[in-house]
Amino acid sequence: MNNIKYFAGIDIGSLFSKVVIIDENSNIKAYSILQSGAVYKGAAETAMNNTLAKAELSMGDMSYIISTGYGRARVPFADSQVTEISCHGRGANFVFPEVRTIIDIGGQDSKVIEVNKEGKAVKFAMNDKCAAGTGRFLEVMAVSLGVDLSEMSTLAEKSRTDVEISSMCTVFAESEVISLFAQGTEKADIALGVYRSIARRVTGLFGQVGKKERVAMTGGVAKSKGMVEALEKSIKTTLMVPEEPQIMGALGAALIAREKFMQA
Amino acid sequence: MSKHKTNRLKTTKLIGPMVDKHWADLRTAKKRGEMVAWCSGPMFIFPYAMGMKCHFMAGYAAYAGGRGAADDLLKIAESEGDMLDTCSYHKAHMGMAMAIKKGIPVREDVLLPMPDLLITGRLCTEMSHYAEGLYRRMDINVIGIDTPPPLNESLVPGLEKYCEDQVRGSLIPRIEEICGKSFDYDRLIEIMAILKETCILRNECWEYFKKIPSPWTLWDYGVSIAPVFYMMGSPDAVPYYTQLRDELAERAEKGIGAIEPEKYRVYWDGWLPWGFLGQFSRKMTDLGIVPLVGRYPWEFFPHPETIDLNGDPIKEFVKQVYSNGGLAKQNLPNMSLPSIQKWVKEYSLDGVIMFSSKSCRMWNLGHPDFIKAIEKKHNIPGVVIEGDMVDSRMNSFGQIDTRLEALAEMMAARKK
Amino acid sequence: MDKKPIEQCMEISTNPYDYLKKWKIDNNKKIISCFAMNIPEEIVFASGMIPVISWRSDEPVTMGHSHLATFNCGLTRSFIDDLVKEKLDFIDGIAVNRMCLQAQGLPFLLEQATKMPYIEYLSLPALYDDNVSYNYLIEEFKRFQTGLEKVSGNTVTDDTLNNAIDIYNKNRGLLSEIYELRRKNPGIIKGKEMLAVVHSSMIMAKDINNTLLEKVVEELNNRKQTLSKDERIKVITYGGLCQTVNSEILNIIEDLGMVIVDDDIFVGSKYFANPVEKNGNPYEALGNRYMKKTPPCPTKGDYRTDWTDYIIEMAEKNNAKGIISLMIKYCPPHMCYYPDIKNKLAAKGIPEILVEVEHEIISFEQVKTRLQTFVEILQGV
Repeated sequence: MNNIKYFAGIDIGSLFSKVVIIDENSNIKAYSILQSGAVYKGAAETAMNNTLAKAELSMGDMSYIISTGYGRARVPFADSQVTEISCHGRGANFVFPEVRTIIDIGGQDSKVIEVNKEGKAVKFAMNDKCAAGTGRFLEVMAVSLGVDLSEMSTLAEKSRTDVEISSMCTVFAESEVISLFAQGTEKADIALGVYRSIARRVTGLFGQVGKKERVAMTGGVAKSKGMVEALEKSIKTTLMVPEEPQIMGALGAALIAREKFMQA
Repeated sequence: MSKHKTNRLKTTKLIGPMVDKHWADLRTAKKRGEMVAWCSGPMFIFPYAMGMKCHFMAGYAAYAGGRGAADDLLKIAESEGDMLDTCSYHKAHMGMAMAIKKGIPVREDVLLPMPDLLITGRLCTEMSHYAEGLYRRMDINVIGIDTPPPLNESLVPGLEKYCEDQVRGSLIPRIEEICGKSFDYDRLIEIMAILKETCILRNECWEYFKKIPSPWTLWDYGVSIAPVFYMMGSPDAVPYYTQLRDELAERAEKGIGAIEPEKYRVYWDGWLPWGFLGQFSRKMTDLGIVPLVGRYPWEFFPHPETIDLNGDPIKEFVKQVYSNGGLAKQNLPNMSLPSIQKWVKEYSLDGVIMFSSKSCRMWNLGHPDFIKAIEKKHNIPGVVIEGDMVDSRMNSFGQIDTRLEALAEMMAARKK
Repeated sequence: MDKKPIEQCMEISTNPYDYLKKWKIDNNKKIISCFAMNIPEEIVFASGMIPVISWRSDEPVTMGHSHLATFNCGLTRSFIDDLVKEKLDFIDGIAVNRMCLQAQGLPFLLEQATKMPYIEYLSLPALYDDNVSYNYLIEEFKRFQTGLEKVSGNTVTDDTLNNAIDIYNKNRGLLSEIYELRRKNPGIIKGKEMLAVVHSSMIMAKDINNTLLEKVVEELNNRKQTLSKDERIKVITYGGLCQTVNSEILNIIEDLGMVIVDDDIFVGSKYFANPVEKNGNPYEALGNRYMKKTPPCPTKGDYRTDWTDYIIEMAEKNNAKGIISLMIKYCPPHMCYYPDIKNKLAAKGIPEILVEVEHEIISFEQVKTRLQTFVEILQGV
């Protein structure tokens, strides 16, 4: 039997837990994206078992496991932990070797990371102070608009007038949306305004790190076409978006796990 | 239901082109071989006396805000590493400096050439930081003049002397060195003469705020500050205020108010919301609220009659900042509160608005206590409104409108 | 059983209220709170009263917010909060130095929120023009003295002032010694312990603190190194103006495998820098100390001296691999300077990370993530 080595990266975020299993040649064997729920420990195990089942492997087959994300300290079966900044950098760089700047908008923070050609983080800027400019903001706004998050992009495409949502605070922006409604503003315009508001916030972070082409976007929010377009307009470039932007952190963690094992 | 109306003044239409010309002149000054000074605090009178063209820190930020360009400047500053919470006036300048240094495209009318001289009048401590920041980034000549505000009357003489010593010992010698000529005291006196005349006219205009209904608003005065401050000595200053005074006199005689109907007369504390005057003005007019008095716009030489044109001009000017003045003398909240209490009665005020700019820590300290003290003495309500003078991200009109409406309701309740 | 000296420092630093209340009863001396940097404490000491640097409590601000907004600096908010909650009733007066806008507005709040019997407002000069600033500075010192004499009922003489200078210089010498011990053996004292040691000097009467610090030196000399030198990443911290940094942040820095080898923070090397150089005239000597351009203090308006150069020199001297900017929210003197520091360090390829320090720290997770990423960058992960 081939004694192939496997490595896993597990990214425990505020909303979702992601696991990626790769082999010693860095090929992705399997991955999962599951809702975290409140108990991180349980989420980690569930997500891991789920992915192992998909890969038809067992825990014993894993040579090294790295955890990342906000819940990274609560993954008892991880061999070590690395921050999601380093992991997103590596993951994006693996998919797009030419990437040098990465924008990751997650559930509760947004970050911009500059990486070198090996995908190692060189500098970064984070908004970890509040929900503005994060996936949470998008969720709250979707609820205010009475639409499903998945519908917002399509809605925003119909926008014909630029609307400003100026408030930096998620809660205050909500009341801004309500008063815009009261004034008869079109939902489509508000939806695009929401995307532009996030883009503005993230562009500020982007400016702090500086634009080094090529630029990629990772994280769950990258699945939203409207968000990608708003961001591209704001930072004036074409963004590279992986097929599965949400697993970049876990992928990066798995790649680092492989490296750590090989170097030991 | 009566319609809410704003009766716009004719005279204030003149100020836009006047101010535009001032900044346009500054933009082209270096090309014409003229020297340029940037100042914070009132120290620009000295470079003016030397024939330099002058920029004024808060004036520039207000100008950029009023023209809708402040947000872009703030973004540039933040991309260089400035924090969101840092003073917007400071960031507007850092943004401009970096736009010039790195060739970042920004509206031409808000870009100014780097000056030959930067004078910081440290009345607000941020003014020092702005000069320090520009010195670090652009390597310009800096003259610092520390003008601490007095906590009480007994401290005034000592601080006045300190200011005067700095002007004589530091500012004059260095400005002579930079300009390569002796200081022109005659021109200084000339400028002060014009300033005196302009401010006396301005004080006459202030009297009209007492009229019910008031023929003009604090916003009208706010946009008219340039001739009594950073455009002091301009040949346009006296004609402007003469015309303004005459127009106000005419309105007062006819009983024409700036807003119709004038229901509530209020005090406005803090900066004027330069980037959002239109929005505030519309909302307040709709509620029948007219702002008339504010300690910040009223700090510019409130006692011009005390200027002795035969006296030592440096002494006379420094006195206008300290012992006979508003700028430093009335800056601290405990020095200005007694004046505000007087104004409530003199100007028949119904309420107070404390505009708390989130990026500024000068006027805000004391806002809740001001409201309490004024309410205790005069039984009129007050409200704190959080926003910013030029940063649109910090002005959430959903909340602001609610507070203004609440104030109107409270004032209505007390009037019954 | 007597607590160990460093433990005593930690106790005093964590609960200055009880310490001072008891001390006042035992010693019957007046206490003058000094807000916060660059105040000539020796003059207070020479008047027979004890200067105590205004400190930040560990409680979230509640009632204090009826006087000032949440976007003011934590020290000002906490201090007002403590006063309003009557937790500082043992203080006999306050001297405020006009370092920034918060300090500028503080006396008004003190008048409104408290019945403070003595409020002094010092406008110590910006270092723009050495001659004029200096002359004015000496006048301010003399004015300060006159006010203090009225409160204490004692006259300040050259002798009492020189004596105070001697005691303060001894204190500075001891703190310098402790800092040098750490430079030679990073990790011999934890960040939170060092903070408490310096802070104890800000709380205690200096002569009594001297005795305690002598014992701290002894304790450190006896401590053995517990970590292997090679593993730890040396860093320096700078910033932290006017107030203590939440010590949990220092713990996080160390838990992540870094060791603070030196610092340029107020409750740190800034406080005891530059012994007073006596020259016969104690005012001149105190004045000369104030006029010194290093360590650079962004509240002194000295635009010619570059703070970043000072920080770089400190990092190089200590072979530090990285620099941690401890930025107190909302501190304009630091905030306005920060972009230039950040960019100059980046241009020189010196790794730097910003940690914003809030009075009410909501969550340390964000701080942990940032600092862990910093370590990963330093390690090339």
